[in-house]
Amino acid sequence: MTASEIIFWFLSVLALFSAIMVLISRNPVHSVLWLIVVFFAISGHYILLNAQFLAIVNLIVYAGAIMVLFLFVIMLMNLNTETEPQRNTWLKVIGVISGGLLLTVMVSAARSAGELSNKTALIGAGDIGLIQNLGKVLFNQYVVPFEITSVLFLSAMVGAVVIGKKD
Amino acid sequence: MICSIIVRNKGSFRHIAAFGLLILLIANILETYGKDFFHVNTMQLLQFDRFGFLFNSIALGATLIYVLLTGKEIEKSGKYAAEYFTLIFFVLCGIFILSAYDNLLMLFLGIEIMSIPLYILTGSDKRNLKSNEAALKYFLMGAFSTGLMLMGIALMYGGTGTFQLEVQRISVGMYKGVSFLEITGLLFLMVAMAFKVSAAPFHFWTPDVYDGAPAVFTSFMATIVKAAAFVAFIKLCDVRMTATLGAIDWKLLFALIIVFTLLIGNITAVFQQSVKRMLAYSSIAQAGFMLFALFNVNDVAKEGLLLYTAAYSLATIGIFAILVKMKDYTFEGYNGLAKTQPVLAATNTVFLLSLAGIPLTAGFFAKYYMLAAVVKTGSYIWLVVVGVLFAAVSVYYYFRVIQAMYFRNGNAATETITFSFKTGLIILAAIIILIGILPQVLLNWFYF
Amino acid sequence: MTVMQHVWIVLGVLFVLLNIGAGLIWVERRMLALWQDRLGPNRAGPLGILIVLADTLKLFFKEDWVPPFADKWVFIIAPAIVVASVLMSFVVIPFAPGIVVADLNVGLLFFLAMSSIGVYSIVLGGWASNNKYALLGALRGASQMIAYEVFMGLSLMGVVMMTGSFKLTDIVEAQRDMWFFIKQPIGLVIFFIAGIAETHRLPFDIPEAESELIAGYHAEYSGMKFGMFFIGEYLGITLISAMTATIFFGGWLGPEFLPGWVWFFTKTFAFILFFILLRASLPRPRYDQLMEYGWKILLPLVLANVMITGAVLLWLKG
Repeated sequence: MTASEIIFWFLSVLALFSAIMVLISRNPVHSVLWLIVVFFAISGHYILLNAQFLAIVNLIVYAGAIMVLFLFVIMLMNLNTETEPQRNTWLKVIGVISGGLLLTVMVSAARSAGELSNKTALIGAGDIGLIQNLGKVLFNQYVVPFEITSVLFLSAMVGAVVIGKKD
Repeated sequence: MICSIIVRNKGSFRHIAAFGLLILLIANILETYGKDFFHVNTMQLLQFDRFGFLFNSIALGATLIYVLLTGKEIEKSGKYAAEYFTLIFFVLCGIFILSAYDNLLMLFLGIEIMSIPLYILTGSDKRNLKSNEAALKYFLMGAFSTGLMLMGIALMYGGTGTFQLEVQRISVGMYKGVSFLEITGLLFLMVAMAFKVSAAPFHFWTPDVYDGAPAVFTSFMATIVKAAAFVAFIKLCDVRMTATLGAIDWKLLFALIIVFTLLIGNITAVFQQSVKRMLAYSSIAQAGFMLFALFNVNDVAKEGLLLYTAAYSLATIGIFAILVKMKDYTFEGYNGLAKTQPVLAATNTVFLLSLAGIPLTAGFFAKYYMLAAVVKTGSYIWLVVVGVLFAAVSVYYYFRVIQAMYFRNGNAATETITFSFKTGLIILAAIIILIGILPQVLLNWFYF
Repeated sequence: MTVMQHVWIVLGVLFVLLNIGAGLIWVERRMLALWQDRLGPNRAGPLGILIVLADTLKLFFKEDWVPPFADKWVFIIAPAIVVASVLMSFVVIPFAPGIVVADLNVGLLFFLAMSSIGVYSIVLGGWASNNKYALLGALRGASQMIAYEVFMGLSLMGVVMMTGSFKLTDIVEAQRDMWFFIKQPIGLVIFFIAGIAETHRLPFDIPEAESELIAGYHAEYSGMKFGMFFIGEYLGITLISAMTATIFFGGWLGPEFLPGWVWFFTKTFAFILFFILLRASLPRPRYDQLMEYGWKILLPLVLANVMITGAVLLWLKG
């Protein structure tokens, strides 16, 4: 195995493990912390794919800002295991079964698809993820969605103000 | 085109909003006939075609009627009337993107611009616990479906290497150029879209949200927004799903969804006590009928969808406009309405008949075109039979309202009804009957 | 460059930084004493310089106590985060031509990312302590740092636009003719203010605010865990000073008679002294005043700065 393969497997295992920990942690603050670990692992993957800008922005925006606000809110709500509502056992069983079925179908479909075998992602190649090229693509070919995204944010902002103001 | 939408977003109060809508409507109709006001190079991300323009016109017209009829109620529903109108304009902006998208990125943006203001509008009645609950439920479920949609788009990108709707297919592997990733992505995307149009089994949010939201906004959500989601869905089916028919049997999948949706929507609607909740379930049932258009996308289906949009939106807007004037939303609340408010009762009957699909109303031809689209395929005739059966079931619960209005004794309490409101309702009912007699009035536009 | 050279650079940077961090204990106390007309530490060693050693030894030998009511793992991780994130930021700083641990082409963004990770030490430390003063400190810290991070990032965009690169060596090279603080005075001022808020130094030490919150987020910490917060703060000061020197004052550039690294450290040290002078002279604002100042004054100002810089650049390009 080459060095980048080792890093890839390490990051993947880390990402999956932390993602599972997000779900099974009893304490919501711990869940958030594991989620941050997931973001770090994903950023590592981005760097492997030579998408440095995406990796760093992922850290700044998700790990650095959004997750802090999550923590902020969770800390203020003072959630703990006692206040957690009891879930219906049947619902749990049904959920596990349907989720398991979906997983089985997906995995078997992926295994049977011939196109995926013997293919790995290009690691460390391609320069579209570099900040300069990304900027050029974003402001030439994809300038319309970029601008329209601002409409989306404006609408979300108006909405937040409406919801947030005192009646 | 886009510029005009964004500029108009500042519409503040009822009259300005109505005026803005009118201008947009005129601009849109003119543009349908090839007069460009703005030319924006969208890099093939958006593509305005006849179908999209016509749909935009219908959506704008319906919104105009909606604002004229229930503008006062919107102003009453909270302190921030100006913001509510702004949010409605944002929703419209999303709808225009959806009717013209040619790229999955734009599909995502359109869906989001349409959905986010709706979450807010649902929760606009801040003192009402039910409204809050509805908003939170809608938001959480909506966010989840958005996640699925993004996942689907990402997988489709992985499978085809492009966000563009039309794909140049190169033959690789066993599926004649259709990648496994693309199929999985499409499935995810289908689930997310089915959620947006509230098709079973992804309909669970609909009754609670439609019931909890202030009635004025429910009427907007249940009509124009839903139709826009259908238009986005039909474009997706038209291009992507037809192209991948070799790899997966979409028809069977859609047939199952249609049957489920009709079953759940109609049967549950029968047992409702509140008219508002009944309408929520009936909107699921109507979604089942609109899904027929997706089953086999052809010209009849597209015409049908446009007609259905117009018929269903106009009728539902009318019913809700009357509903918000009622003091009591249960069936008992309608008892004896024909005696106290004959005009309201009469127009309401027309709207309900149209929803049920009785001949001479717009709803009849709408349903007819939908079923005709399936008949054209030759197979799946059983599906048409199921559709007709459930249409018959739906007559039952729509007639319960009519029965309550005309044949029950009671004193239906309403708020004060103005003369202009009555006039508006009569015009609306007239339009529905006109489309019901001469559906070509609307459809001829399609072939200009 | 050989592998060994890289290793030496890494080790050298680490060694120098940790010593600066520790040495600042003495510098700060002596300078404060000087400006406030007091004596300051003067017993251990010449001019009291061995106070550094005494303090460090004291921290090492104190009982390493985890309160029984605390969330143990989070409590332990929190102080490590601050030191780790600040040290990571130094990775991208060019100390002299060729002496840089990793010259990333997203260097500036990397610095911003790391400084935003630093927030977690305060938030988690305050939460895990299970103490209301600590929690209050954590909440204040989180909102303060999140807010000022925005201005910090935006204040640097003017420089980025002029250079056309996020790489710090490029930014230094672009200042051969003229240092950026002349072209970007607003950027400099806002960056420095945001830097003070990011390191939560006086006058913006609202998360710890002894007179209101005892010691804020690190009220429950003792021993070397407290030491980590302590050293993290001094490293943070060094980081912001070094960044200011690099981005706005030409980094290693200077007259030829001295080598680059000397210029770099001289400039950095000047800003460290300025940090200490601020502490000696300014009172602490109220929490809401701080937030209002940020969102209502700094944000419009910094946005205007970005816009005007962009417009001028476009205009010059013709």
